[in-house]
Amino acid sequence: MEQMEKYNLKTLVIIPAYKEAKNLPRLFRELKEVPLDFDIVVINDCSPDDTEAVCRQHGIPVVSLPVNLGIGGAVQTGYKYALEHGYDIAVQMDGDGQHDPRFLKLVLSRIYEGYHMSIGSRFIEGKGYQSSLTRRAGIKFFSWLIKLLTGQYISDPTSGFRACSRELIRLFAGSYPKDYPEPETIVTALRNKYRIAEVPVIMRPRQSGESSITRNLAAYYMIKVTLAVIMAAIARKNGDGAK
Amino acid sequence: MNGMGEMSSVLRIILIIGSLIFFVFIMNMVRTKKLELKYALTWILTSFSFVLLSIFPEILFFIAALMHIELPVNALYLCVISLLLLIVFTLSVAVSRQALRIKTLVQEIGLIKETLERMKKEG
Repeated sequence: MEQMEKYNLKTLVIIPAYKEAKNLPRLFRELKEVPLDFDIVVINDCSPDDTEAVCRQHGIPVVSLPVNLGIGGAVQTGYKYALEHGYDIAVQMDGDGQHDPRFLKLVLSRIYEGYHMSIGSRFIEGKGYQSSLTRRAGIKFFSWLIKLLTGQYISDPTSGFRACSRELIRLFAGSYPKDYPEPETIVTALRNKYRIAEVPVIMRPRQSGESSITRNLAAYYMIKVTLAVIMAAIARKNGDGAK
Repeated sequence: MNGMGEMSSVLRIILIIGSLIFFVFIMNMVRTKKLELKYALTWILTSFSFVLLSIFPEILFFIAALMHIELPVNALYLCVISLLLLIVFTLSVAVSRQALRIKTLVQEIGLIKETLERMKKEG
């Protein structure tokens, strides 16, 4: 039954992109090689470079935001697009080349099995790009905090390589954090009794451009996300009052 | 007397002039519609009570006595700071609401543009 069903599930790959004109062509090429049936949408977060033109050249649908909203606002636009067009599954992938489309099938497999969210984790097998020591310490802290608040251990709570079922598409289209959304949305999903699974993936260092979390912002990031995660854990269920 | 009975007359004149200027300024902003009425009401009331207080400081003495505050001027500070906190907090709430609305609008515009483009392409 599941075998039958999974091939009828409409799947969308959401790629939030800010100044990724250089990285996108490779990602598109790799996505084309994946033997699965899915659509792609790029959310161009008001990039000053040729991000939009690159998408058009490759015939990829692109939603161009007239004002820069940041990663959260861009990803949420993707979920709204998915909801509007009746997709059953939405997969987030970064536009910077960190996420390898060869793992798409593995990430999706957990959704086919009935999980509501499936996260590609770089720490389960510990292969590939593991990011710096300080970053890993920060990520470890969030794993611990989420375990404390929800009881479930998530090895890579900051991973932006994740698939969501229709229920979560609806939830996230309705409300989504503004910036640094990943750990917070995990807690929101778990709090609303959705089931989350992780699969091992190998991530690559970003091809070009720079991370949104620079050294100076690290402390701010830690404090803000800690607070956001705690708030998500005590928020009202189903939608967090952001309406 | 330690500031209870009589406020220095210089300070009083400064306060009266200052609060009158403030009141006129606020009214002018409202008149030229640079201030939305919703926010203007707070400021009209605030500036009006400043004028009242500077002309009749006895009100302040009464409040100070009521709250067992020794110096009336401290009662004034307490009132003003509380009011400011309230106004700033209200503004934070307003800004958050605006930000959420703007975000929703931006997303909606992006999605509509994409739909429009697809329709154009399909003829």
